[in-house]
Amino acid sequence: MIYFDSAATSFQKPPQVLKAYTETLRSAASPGRGAYRLAMRAAEAMLNAREEAAAFFRFSDPERVVLTMNATHALNLAIRSLAVPGAKAVISGFEHNSVLRPLYACGMEITTAGRRLFDPEELLGTLRSELPGAALAVFTHVSNAFGYILPVREIASLCREYGVPLIVDASQSAGVLELDCSTLQADFVAMPGHKSLLGVPGSGLLLCRGETKPLLFGGSGSDSIDRAMPAYLPERLEAGTQNAPAAAALAAGIRYIRRRGRDAIEAHERELCLHMAELLGGREELQLFVSSDAAMQSGVLSFRCRSRDCEEIARMLSQEEICVRSGLHCAPLAHECAGTLETGTVRMSFSPFNTHAEIEKAAGKLIKII
Amino acid sequence: MKQYLILCRSVTHAQRCARLLEGALIRAAVTKAPRELTSSGCGYALLLHAKLDEALRLLRKKEMSFGRVFERDGDGEYREIKP
Repeated sequence: MIYFDSAATSFQKPPQVLKAYTETLRSAASPGRGAYRLAMRAAEAMLNAREEAAAFFRFSDPERVVLTMNATHALNLAIRSLAVPGAKAVISGFEHNSVLRPLYACGMEITTAGRRLFDPEELLGTLRSELPGAALAVFTHVSNAFGYILPVREIASLCREYGVPLIVDASQSAGVLELDCSTLQADFVAMPGHKSLLGVPGSGLLLCRGETKPLLFGGSGSDSIDRAMPAYLPERLEAGTQNAPAAAALAAGIRYIRRRGRDAIEAHERELCLHMAELLGGREELQLFVSSDAAMQSGVLSFRCRSRDCEEIARMLSQEEICVRSGLHCAPLAHECAGTLETGTVRMSFSPFNTHAEIEKAAGKLIKII
Repeated sequence: MKQYLILCRSVTHAQRCARLLEGALIRAAVTKAPRELTSSGCGYALLLHAKLDEALRLLRKKEMSFGRVFERDGDGEYREIKP
């Protein structure tokens, strides 16, 4: 089996991640619900994940690292914290529904800046004209549909210049691209734990610099008499029983990336993507969405075929035990901007565990199919 | 043996304080705060048997906030300390 759907979730996990998950499941109870050994082990797992994440992303305060269910949960928390009904929100043309839907639900007026694929200059130019008067901005670091790396540092600087709070969606970059929060001027950075951070489903992170509003209300393990959620993080945003095994797995995933080298993983995934693009390139029946500047594309390759439906291609690849994602990838806006809303694309997304031999085998099968 | 309790706002904060103290070879266990000492319901505390002044100095130096501090003698009564 060849797994090329790591932009959805990473399937292959380091053994250390699975071990951390199962050991915590066996040996820990609920964090913040007691001081007996099992409860404290769970609390230790939570704190370890916060500290690993804070060190990895150079984020100053581990207590402002909130553990979430996934990136969608983290983005909902951040958006709810900043949203003002009726006010303007500026987003890129490549945002996922995990950004679009919460903004709509909060009644915000949504404006897009940057609707051209692999064109950061156009994005920065339109952003400058859209930022005045905005209540918040949300930008993805990498398009989940096309692998387009947005100029997040320049976006953050512009937002700071115009005094607009920024939420960065690092769903496709955390664990692969450099994300230095000590210099990135973002109010919130949201990410999943189960993609490139190599944790398990049910884990995510929100790094909070800005003021926060809870999304869930309930038990926090402290200040129980107060009818409101605590004013302090992380408990303010972590109502209910927390997922300590997933936190332990996430910490193990981050430790694995640190040992292997984040930059080495980034280079490996980019090489795999370029290799696949090279093997598939130059065929009239295929339209590849590839940047002419390799530094602008992560390990995600989207394409479509003139003669076959994307879903059909994915199904035929699946019969060959090759796992890819087809359709709109929960990012209809991105497809609208790229002109692929009517067809969708087939997406191949790579991980540290994929090999060049897999690229060659999958490319060969695909060429036969089309 | 004397016991000292340093109240903390949450288990997360108590753990962070305990790790900081541990790094300076000051033993502090994270424990639930006695109900009689917390006005807002459940809470956590650091339990020490020695080096209280040193611990408080370090927490202040590292800007780790903490709540009220108590001493408990053999009679089992908690007395607040104003360090």
